[in-house]
Amino acid sequence: MLEILGTIGGNILSLPGILGLALGMMTRKLWLGAALGGAVGVFEPLVFAGFRFAHVEPLDLIIAVVVGVCAGSLGTAIRIKGATA
Amino acid sequence: MADSPEKRGLLGRLWNAIWTPAVMFSSGFLILAGFLAGILFWGGFHWTLELTNTEEFCVSCHTMETNLGEYRETIHYNNRSGSRAICSDCHVPDEWNHKIKAKIMAVKDVYHELAGTISTPEKYEDHRLAMASAVWKKMKASDSRECRNCHNFDYMDFTVQETRAASEHQRAIDSGMTCIDCHQGIAHSLPPNYLEEYQKVSEAIEGEVLQEHAAATGDDIRDFLNNSSK
Repeated sequence: MLEILGTIGGNILSLPGILGLALGMMTRKLWLGAALGGAVGVFEPLVFAGFRFAHVEPLDLIIAVVVGVCAGSLGTAIRIKGATA
Repeated sequence: MADSPEKRGLLGRLWNAIWTPAVMFSSGFLILAGFLAGILFWGGFHWTLELTNTEEFCVSCHTMETNLGEYRETIHYNNRSGSRAICSDCHVPDEWNHKIKAKIMAVKDVYHELAGTISTPEKYEDHRLAMASAVWKKMKASDSRECRNCHNFDYMDFTVQETRAASEHQRAIDSGMTCIDCHQGIAHSLPPNYLEEYQKVSEAIEGEVLQEHAAATGDDIRDFLNNSSK
C-alpha cells in the first residue's frame, strides 16, 4: 500500500504530474489534455528505465499513465475555468 | 442565482479572485511573476527535501541511536580517505522519482517513532530481521542502485584489490550478482538467521532458486569481510 502511495506521490511531483498539468493547460479539449498527460505518463517510466521497455515495471507504468491523465485533465479544467476567450 | 460579491465571505471572494481572468496585470507580468514564484517554490522545496537527507535529520529520532552506533563502527563512517557515506547515500535514491517515493514511504518511520515500535533495545532486536529484510528486498530489486552511486564494477581496479576480493568481484560480474548478495550487514549488525531470510528475499525477487548457489558460496566472502574488518 505504502509502495503504491509512494509511487503516486512520486509521479505527481514528477513529469506526469507537473508536465501533464502544464500540457493540459495548453488546450480546452479535455480528451487532448488527458491524452497529452497520458503520453507523458508513458514517457517518464521509459526515461527512468533507460529507454528499455522491458525494464519498465507494469505497476509504475500504469500509475504514471493514470496520474498523467488526471493531471492533464485537471490542466484542461483549469484552462476552461480560468480564461474567458 | 449566485451571491453578489458583497455577500460573499473571505473565502468566496478569494476563490472568485483566483478564477477571474486578470484585468490588472499584463500577460508578460503574469508569466514573469509565475516564473520567479516557480523558481522560489521549487528551490525552497528542493532545499527542504535535501535537509531531510542530512545525517543530523536522520538520527534526530531516538530510535535511530542503535543503528547509528553500529554504522559508526564501519568503514563507511570512518576510513583512511575521510570520504563518508551517510544514511541517505545508502537509503535514499538519487533519481527524482525514486527519491520522492522513498520520502513518502519514510512517513512510516515517523509513525513507528511515535508508536515506539523499536523504542527499546529488546524491541529493536525483535524487529531487526524484518527491518533488514525490507532493506535487502529494496536493494536486491534495484540491483543495489544506491551502492552503485559510489561503487561501479567498470571502474574497479582488480589489480589493487586483495586477491580474494578481486576474484569474488570478477565472479559477481560473470554470474550477474549484485552488491547486496554478499555485502549484507556492511553498515549495521546482522540479525540471527539472516542468511535464511536473505535467501527468501532473493528467491522471492528472482522467482527461482538461482540464489542458492550465490548464498552458499557467499559464506566465504562474508567470513573474509568480517575477518578483514577486525
